Amino acid sequence: MALTPSLPPDAAWQPLPAAAWDAEAARHLLRRAGWTARPEEAERAKREGLEATLDRLFPERPHYFPEPALAAQVGEDSPAYRSRIRAAAGPEERRTIQKEEQERIQAALQDLSLRWLEYARQPEHAAFAKWVLFLGDVYVVGADKVRDVDLVFRHFDLLARGGLGRAPELTKAVSRSPAMMIYLDLNQNRKEAPNENFARELFELFVLGEGNYTERDIKEAARAFTGYRARPATADFVFAAGQHDGGIKTVFGQSGDFGGDEVIDLAYGQRAAGAFLPHELAKFYLSDAPLPREHLLALGDAWRSGGYDLRWLARRFFGSRLFFAPEYRGNFIKSPVQFYLGMTQDLGLSVPPLPRFVLSPLRQMGQVLFVPPNVRGWVGGRAWINSTSLAARRTLAEMLFTPVDDLRLNADEARALAAARADGAGHFSVPAARLDPFLAESPAEAARRMQSEFLAAPPEPALQQGLADYLAAAAPGPDRFRRVRRAAITLLETPAYQLC
Amino acid sequence: MASNSSTPFLPSTRREFFSLSAKGAGLLAFSRFAPSFLVRSALAQAPAPEKDRRILVLVQLAGGNDGLNTLVPFEDPKYYALRPTLAIAKEKVLPVADGQGLNPACAALRGLLGEGKLAIVQNVGYPNPNHSHFRSSEIWETGSASDRFLATGWLGRFLDNACSGMPASDHDPVAVHVNTLNGLPETLMGEREHPTFGLSAYAARRRDGEETRRLLEADAAVPPGAPDDDASFLRHTLMDSLVTETKVQAALGGYRPLAAYPANAFAASLRNVAGLIAAGLPTRVYFVTLSGFDTHFNQLGTQERLLETLSTGLAAFQKDLEAHRLEGQVATMTFSEFGRRPFENESKGTDHGTAAPLFLMGSGLRAGLHGAAPSLDLPKNADLAFSTDFRSVYASVLENWLGCPSAPVLGQQFPLLPVFA
Repeated sequence: MALTPSLPPDAAWQPLPAAAWDAEAARHLLRRAGWTARPEEAERAKREGLEATLDRLFPERPHYFPEPALAAQVGEDSPAYRSRIRAAAGPEERRTIQKEEQERIQAALQDLSLRWLEYARQPEHAAFAKWVLFLGDVYVVGADKVRDVDLVFRHFDLLARGGLGRAPELTKAVSRSPAMMIYLDLNQNRKEAPNENFARELFELFVLGEGNYTERDIKEAARAFTGYRARPATADFVFAAGQHDGGIKTVFGQSGDFGGDEVIDLAYGQRAAGAFLPHELAKFYLSDAPLPREHLLALGDAWRSGGYDLRWLARRFFGSRLFFAPEYRGNFIKSPVQFYLGMTQDLGLSVPPLPRFVLSPLRQMGQVLFVPPNVRGWVGGRAWINSTSLAARRTLAEMLFTPVDDLRLNADEARALAAARADGAGHFSVPAARLDPFLAESPAEAARRMQSEFLAAPPEPALQQGLADYLAAAAPGPDRFRRVRRAAITLLETPAYQLC
Repeated sequence: MASNSSTPFLPSTRREFFSLSAKGAGLLAFSRFAPSFLVRSALAQAPAPEKDRRILVLVQLAGGNDGLNTLVPFEDPKYYALRPTLAIAKEKVLPVADGQGLNPACAALRGLLGEGKLAIVQNVGYPNPNHSHFRSSEIWETGSASDRFLATGWLGRFLDNACSGMPASDHDPVAVHVNTLNGLPETLMGEREHPTFGLSAYAARRRDGEETRRLLEADAAVPPGAPDDDASFLRHTLMDSLVTETKVQAALGGYRPLAAYPANAFAASLRNVAGLIAAGLPTRVYFVTLSGFDTHFNQLGTQERLLETLSTGLAAFQKDLEAHRLEGQVATMTFSEFGRRPFENESKGTDHGTAAPLFLMGSGLRAGLHGAAPSLDLPKNADLAFSTDFRSVYASVLENWLGCPSAPVLGQQFPLLPVFA
């Protein structure tokens, strides 16, 4: 799929002129940077202006996602489980202990996923949470391999805390992230037998992209990262000098007795490092069609000369003329997480603590949080859609309009739900009152309003007419409410609602 | 193409499509976004209904069905000691054999047993059992060992094997799930995407589902000359599924059951399955859910109602299949994520347990009891130790019913049970 941006490289990254900041532009920014654009949020963004909105979306002091107790507990218990497994009398006992730990890990991962979704769906967290999800799609770790949910949390926490700082510092922190060390076998990297897995992904997937390094660079860089270890008891990073290869390495044509940090600095010395993250940004936020190299370099050179400041990059990207260009409006397929969280925002719902009704649908739609398919992360875009995943999206929309107590809950689920309600959680399914604004309108106006609230693409006359006719055909009495509800559900099942 | 007309503008069967073609409203009307099965059939000019294939209907008893009060060891005094308030009196039990009898709510199943159409596999479970609904369901659905995690379902992998060589998304659904609340059951997820279809539990009122479909149909048509962008791609994918949906609804709308089904949602689901089988869809696997078995409190009445729903629903379904002379093609099997604790709890209920019996229904079975009954010689509040691994049941169904080698699906060879004649 080729697409040439309507703006040349030198104009693409200029700030959007103030005159072009209108309601549609505000909605576009909120949908792409976050999950959706609620009318009141869009109104506020338009009023405050683009700069102030970017200040809010990528704040100096973000509200970080706090570690859930179950995840922390997994981390605390991990050394004890290891010694119990070591001390086990035989394979039978060992299996029993392993299974017990495995169950706790699974429960903690579900809990982490549900709590993160509940944090991320709140409009004031949306853009920052999505930014961290983006960084997690670059600096990929998988909970299936890392296993320790506490380490997975700490990895994402590190991405959040360094996510608006300087990229080389973030990459150095990632190289010390215990989850990453396990995921890419950095923990196995010994002087006598350097493991190249981390060095390869560092160049290919974190900093430079394919074609911008040689096999020799990888081999030499792997030697520089020897001695990186996670302390067994706490999983904290420790540098094992005795395992480090202190010899001379030659990376990108420069020689020295480099350590890991110096290799990262050398990688960021390459021009390709400037263009790499902008390429990833465009793929995650903008379009399936990659941006031309010249466009990426135009942004990348400026980013690089400013010292790789990530907040600067986010603001420049989301504030650019290119980001708001017509060819990028309302035509990007939502990820399952965005589809789900956008819908909860559009409908004013909380995330219920019910794995079966949240995490199972996400899995059917193709996205298991914290468990990407491989080190490249999710493919995204059109790859999200097939007949099964589209059916799952439609079922999820129907589900959110069904009272949660009608979902034939198990006793555990009913208990979790009651606890969440006691904690002051909001609605888990669409309350009748949510549809009042549409009920108050004429059929034609209700159809128009529904489309403008829910859809990113401009209203389609045929769909609008179909909905208006459908609403107008209501029999007096409860049929009117039934049809408004049905029209809203249908709208969420349309192709247009899958786009942002 | 009026979106509010009562006839769908798309042909819902191949025959309708061909009759439209003959009237000149053929493939061109759909351009290159014609649903692929239509294009394929049009090219082949010979739609091939696959009517002789064997079909499996899987019935999930969600929540964990109590085995000891389903198949009651009514001669064993230990049973009565374990269940001071929940035990079923010996004179009420419907005897089967070997001191085992069915819950009185299972009269219809007892009838099937007498006719040689019901097999009961006793005490089915797996090693290192898990008490979580979510995880134990996952183990049963993926067919994994309890310490392993599989991303695909056992029937999904069956479809991977059985349907290899068939292009994905290019034909009628090979698996249909009915009345499931959270979408495609994990059981049916394969390595590859298979055309599956869900009869929604949400738009259970047919009118609602039809209205949504009609509105979406008008929206899913790709205008001629539209660019090959993501919006067109989405429309194309949606249109494919709407064609299937229309076709399914047409089959269901025209179906005349030849047995009286009880008036409940579970029986209605089975009636729909019978309708789709009778329509000659090439679907190999149907999945139906009956929920509510998580009986921590006041189990007796709740479980009896559920077992009666199960029992009368299955019997009507079997009778209907027979009246349509389809019974030789269909086997039905129940499963539940776990049985329940032998010791009843303080609330006249039972907590999560392990092994339980499961039912197989059909005309080609060796009726009666299979496997061994559980031992009730148990320490305080202990679980039952299973005697038949659930993957042995799966292997038997795969090899002796669906005609597919089981080891590639289950990862190893499990012993087969002599369940199928």
